[in-house]
Amino acid sequence: MSGDVYEGAHLGKADAVLKTVGLEKAFGGLVATDDVSIEVERGTITGMIGPNGAGKSTLFNLISGFYELDEGRVMVNGDDVTELEPHERARKGLVRTFQTPRRLEGMSVREAMLVGPGPQAGESVFSLFFSGDEVTREERANIKQARELLERFEIGHLIDQPSTDLSGGQLKLVELARAFTTNPDILLLDEPVAGVNPTLANDIKRFIRELNEEGQTFLIIEHDMPFIMDLADPIIVLDQGKVLMEGTPDEVRTDDRVIEAYLGGAGP
Amino acid sequence: MSVATWVNETLVRDKSERRIFAVLGLITVLLVVGVVTGVVGLSFLLFQVSLVGMYALLSLGLNVQWGYAGLINFSVAAFWGLGAYCAALLTAPNSPLGLGLHPVFGFLAAIVVSALVAILIGIPTLRLREDYLAIASLGLAEVIRLIILNERQWTAGSSGISGIPALIPWLPLTRLATTASVVVVLGVLIYLFLRRTHRSPWGRVLRTIRSDEDLAKALGKDTYQFKMQAFVIGSVIMAIAGAFYAHLNLYLDPSDLVPLTTFYIWIAVILGGTGSNRGAVVGAAVVIAIREGTRFINDVPAIGSLGLDVAPLRLLFVGVLIILIMRYRQDGLLPPKDELIWPAAKDKASAPSGGSPKPQTGGDD
Repeated sequence: MSGDVYEGAHLGKADAVLKTVGLEKAFGGLVATDDVSIEVERGTITGMIGPNGAGKSTLFNLISGFYELDEGRVMVNGDDVTELEPHERARKGLVRTFQTPRRLEGMSVREAMLVGPGPQAGESVFSLFFSGDEVTREERANIKQARELLERFEIGHLIDQPSTDLSGGQLKLVELARAFTTNPDILLLDEPVAGVNPTLANDIKRFIRELNEEGQTFLIIEHDMPFIMDLADPIIVLDQGKVLMEGTPDEVRTDDRVIEAYLGGAGP
Repeated sequence: MSVATWVNETLVRDKSERRIFAVLGLITVLLVVGVVTGVVGLSFLLFQVSLVGMYALLSLGLNVQWGYAGLINFSVAAFWGLGAYCAALLTAPNSPLGLGLHPVFGFLAAIVVSALVAILIGIPTLRLREDYLAIASLGLAEVIRLIILNERQWTAGSSGISGIPALIPWLPLTRLATTASVVVVLGVLIYLFLRRTHRSPWGRVLRTIRSDEDLAKALGKDTYQFKMQAFVIGSVIMAIAGAFYAHLNLYLDPSDLVPLTTFYIWIAVILGGTGSNRGAVVGAAVVIAIREGTRFINDVPAIGSLGLDVAPLRLLFVGVLIILIMRYRQDGLLPPKDELIWPAAKDKASAPSGGSPKPQTGGDD
């Protein structure tokens, strides 16, 4: 494919929660992310698709700070977060989930949920001994929020289960609920329905849509085409580390370049 | 009876644990009977109690690091030795420093010095993968031992430090009874401190870091700070145990800092149940029982008649014990059972969620 095929994403959106400018990342000689500039408009569910190896997960790791950038800038709510550590970006409102969530060994679902809200007074050893009342108050509120959220996601009955006993799909739901308790400005979901049975995947879709209707902004990587086409608008297509195009699900579905990218560039 | 009720209500979490506590209770009764009938010397028993207390402190310290936060620290003996040398150097009148201060200053110095050393070793290693701390701490242990051995003008080197004063001499008890009481009080205080920190949002973040540090970061937790806090708290507890040992043994030399102590403590934590404070204490008692108990095994007629010197095989017994535990009780004797939720918030907030299928994590809180 020649370079001019890469149209890039739509820039200059009115109210971008997340904005990247010219992100570059190479692993040795392999360029995994090549001049990626995208914007995610507040209140949208923005999808991100692309064939295997297109650099979607790398891009997530760059945006969330888990990989170090070679070049470029990341902006959250207009603030430059490029130099910040992952946990500092999370506090700025940019929270991500992982493709293969690890189970929190020895923790109940309730405990796993309570790790989300932050910063909590009880996370300081000093407060534990000198402002116990405040810790108690916060903890009660957080437990209440966790239970309500789990009930809303229709997994309230799992609250006492060890989190090691959950199915993959339930774990994804708990992850989504927990990420939501951090009160993020934008949630980055890395394959929220990978390995999840269709019924639960539909539930997850419904919950994401509900949260979005209440104003939550999402950026979602997903391989499941019907899922993402139904849920997201707009959709950004990555190919070989570059942004191929951005558009509505219909535009993406009918775009020759996208089809060609997925078929492996075998065409003329 | 009331003791049994208390143990049952606050420490025992399930049936198999009740058996373990029953065995521990039986051993305690036997020891008391042994003392009353004169089979076991009282001062011997008090010395063993002090040793168990000291090992319990060390295990609790390592449990904060490895059990809570997953930090691999191979310099338990070094932090213990730092504490011991701080106490000995400041309080013994004939130490190279010759200060002869009150033991309180020895304990304070142990706390400050160990915290500083922990921070210094933590700064370069805690941002890296967990194995770097393991490697660095292994090196640190030898460095500290060699410095103490060779810097004679400061530490008296291999000739050691004698004349360390006993603790609280004005108490109307024998020296060993006082020392044993001190370690019991120290142990209870530190246990309560750790229990409070463990069942809190702080402890929860540490356990999350242990399972999946990236997840903790993604949720906005400054994992480096949390790991540093756990590392410093654990190291300071180890140094307190060391300072106590100086006043228990009244003599100290660098041969006490051998790495073997580190591995005994690791064994105690794993035997007891990684991440469990109750387990750390019980594991320490078991390790001391094996270490000290095997001294007398040749005196048992049946074994003595074998014409075999069994006592030096104690490390073998420890090994066998570990294999048995790993085979039959993989999570240790008393694995962590409590939910890490602030107890005061739990009673009211989580009780209405009754009808849940498995309320087994409840415990007493």
